[in-house]
Amino acid sequence: MISEQLREEVHKCIKCGLCMNACPVYKQLYFEGASPRGKVQLIKKVLEGELELSERFHELLFTCLLCENCSVNCPSGLKVDRLMKAMRAELEQKYGLSWQKRMVFHLLHSSRLLPFAMYWGRVFGPTLMGLFAKNGRVGTIPFSKIPRVNSIPLIRQYLQTISPSGQRQGRVLYFTGCATNYLFENVGKSIISILQRLGIEVLLPKAQMCCGLPIFLSGARKMALDNIRQNLRVLLAEKVDAIIVDCATCGAALKKEYVHILEELGQDAKEASAVSKKVLDISQYLVRFDLAEHLGAVPDRVTYHDPCHLLRSQAVKEEPRRLLNMIPGLEFVEMSGADACCGGGGTFQWEHPDVASGITNKKISAIEETLANVVASGCPGCRLQIHGNLRSESIRVVHPVELLAKSMDSRLLDT
Amino acid sequence: MLRPEVLERLASVVGPDRCKTAKEDLLTYAYDAYVREFLPDAVLFPKSSAEVSEIMQIAAANDVFVTPRGAGSGLGAEALAKRGGVVLCFTMMNRVLEINSANRYAVVEPGVVIAEFQKEVEKHRLFYPPDPGSAAVATMGGAVAMNAGGVRGVKYGVTRDYLLGLEIVLPSGKVMTTGTITTKDVTGYDLTRLICGSEGTLAVVTKITVRLLPKPQTKRTLQAVYDAIDQAGTTVSRIIESGIVPATLELMDKTIIKAIEDSAHLGLPLDAEAVLLMDVDGDPDTVERQAATVAGFCRDQGAREVRVSASETENEMLWTARRSAFGAVARMRPNCVIEDATVPVSHLTEAIKKVVEIGERNKVQIAVLAHAGDGNLHPLILCDLRDRDEMERVERSMDEIVDYALSVGGTLSGEHGIGISKSKYLPKQLSETSLGLMREIKKLFDPQGILNPGSFLEDRQL
Repeated sequence: MISEQLREEVHKCIKCGLCMNACPVYKQLYFEGASPRGKVQLIKKVLEGELELSERFHELLFTCLLCENCSVNCPSGLKVDRLMKAMRAELEQKYGLSWQKRMVFHLLHSSRLLPFAMYWGRVFGPTLMGLFAKNGRVGTIPFSKIPRVNSIPLIRQYLQTISPSGQRQGRVLYFTGCATNYLFENVGKSIISILQRLGIEVLLPKAQMCCGLPIFLSGARKMALDNIRQNLRVLLAEKVDAIIVDCATCGAALKKEYVHILEELGQDAKEASAVSKKVLDISQYLVRFDLAEHLGAVPDRVTYHDPCHLLRSQAVKEEPRRLLNMIPGLEFVEMSGADACCGGGGTFQWEHPDVASGITNKKISAIEETLANVVASGCPGCRLQIHGNLRSESIRVVHPVELLAKSMDSRLLDT
Repeated sequence: MLRPEVLERLASVVGPDRCKTAKEDLLTYAYDAYVREFLPDAVLFPKSSAEVSEIMQIAAANDVFVTPRGAGSGLGAEALAKRGGVVLCFTMMNRVLEINSANRYAVVEPGVVIAEFQKEVEKHRLFYPPDPGSAAVATMGGAVAMNAGGVRGVKYGVTRDYLLGLEIVLPSGKVMTTGTITTKDVTGYDLTRLICGSEGTLAVVTKITVRLLPKPQTKRTLQAVYDAIDQAGTTVSRIIESGIVPATLELMDKTIIKAIEDSAHLGLPLDAEAVLLMDVDGDPDTVERQAATVAGFCRDQGAREVRVSASETENEMLWTARRSAFGAVARMRPNCVIEDATVPVSHLTEAIKKVVEIGERNKVQIAVLAHAGDGNLHPLILCDLRDRDEMERVERSMDEIVDYALSVGGTLSGEHGIGISKSKYLPKQLSETSLGLMREIKKLFDPQGILNPGSFLEDRQL
């Protein structure tokens, strides 16, 4: 059941409505049930016993990106997203998950099945993705724009301990997340090469698993517990300066969600809070260094998109921008509404493609207006969504570290 | 209850996607920003006046209650289905139809959000001043129905002062227009301004034509900090007497300051008793001069610090924080009732002291916020609806605040409206003759009494 502390939250809502204008989903649908205020009302009615868990309630609670705009805009300080997440867990117990989600989460939840599936995914990927597709699209993303799986998972391309070039200045543990490990290997390679040049030893534990966030945000908290426990064990095994992540979502999970979930399930959260204090987004870690001497020119026009899980969950806003602005020759241009959600929301864009595409189109237009040829963003979910919906082939979507690594390479070539 | 065959006909006007009848959906239309809930039987989302007309015809033929609603940010259950029936929700009818720079007017549908409309006209270097605290949420239709005011009232007036004309649907389903697009218009009774502020009891507004102003060239926000609330009050009087008309003149007491600071972290002084937040706007020279004069007045009256904002971003942050005051204060206790009594501005200081005294005597926590420039008080009464004894004391305090405001020539409500929250006080301010005439007017528009039943004009308590 929902924890006592969260139950009190519903009484904080005075229905002022300030969350509605902040909610990208409401701004597409324009009815209260889609708004945070409406959902809080329904959760309150459920907790007060006036409403049973129902199909419609289930549907409305999943008509949400969990972008956290409501939580940061609530003048009463109501933690809408936490309430939603806890309620989703209740719903999962009654309604279970769709078979597609069950299948994917089963993979993400298993340390053996996932690599196996990804290996075959490279061969049979298109066929497998067909299970999720309608009219040649997975949600809003055309088939052809789904990235190919890494030929070898990133973690298997390196040793467990990667030595720095030159004298050791520090030591970090790198939690790659599934996206970098299986889809976007260049992000991982960039990070490792940057850290090596900065004299940082990188630990890449083979036993790390999916952070579990997609699983528990869908409500399957118990299933995610195995991931949480295994990861906490791995992350606390070695003494390091920091645990770094390149994925906004993994970062949010390790910094906040693990603690919340364990606390709400009435379990010991000491290890989770110890981990949460050590976790840094790669941009937070890198801004501490004086990078100027390592950087060469990158003549791109770049705009930056704030991932929800980085900006609102972790309050990381300036660090990625500062990194980009350090790069010589790079022309940084801010898009309007950089902090607006891209419409991806994990499985949201697949479950609600019509709503998602309305939100994504605004983002794409904002990107196009900047005339940038590169969009940087530290979230693989946003990357998939933005890349998948860009109309122009000439705009690339990258992680900021990829530009940074490119800049370091270009310096080496110059000298 | 709504008969199934009637519901089916109503639903066929808008189609299944724009008709909600599931219990889960109805529960989300049972509230506004007041504290009572009333469950409708159905919610319809029209997108054109033709649809509204058709809906009203069916409703009239079948005696179905219809209550129009915008964003549901009202403070007195005005847009709730107090006696059941259909809620007619305008959030999906939300286009800006025209912005005319040559004649400085705009035409909008009722579901347009006020703040979004303001942003839109500002792109044309025009200005729509009415700026209620709820502007980021509230709709233009709601603003017309409630004659919304806001922080700029002292200089720029309220919604009523910007209306040129309306398209309305009568309860019978007949569509008609009022007013024109010209600034001057004395043709016939001024029905536009009768509909405005009628709280959705006379007709359903489907199109709104508003007058626009040129956007002021520049603006400065001043923030004056006081150790005594009296000093802030006398500063307001001094400014008004001097002939300077600031664009805004807001007063916050220490409880409000603390609540805003806790939620927005702007570095407001937590040890201050009162803060005045003021805008002066106009051409740069005048603004410079007036800002200096106003700052002088503040210091003369004992302000311990006067800050002039350095940038547009800082202005924006201060005003965003101010607009969130209602919600920010609400985090202190489970519920918050806003009072809206308004006094002649010369009584402001006295009125604030009176409110504080009433709160202390009744053992009720009251935070004071005021649109000080026009005497519009917003005592925020903190409470817990679940505590019956406390709610009785809250009720008593409200009675006393109202009595005081009326005793000095003020009004029950400056801008929030009557709804069901203040209807019991109406006879204190309006004579039997006046109320009787209003009821006759209501009957003329709505002989069957199907539009927004349970409204302020009805005797019985809900």
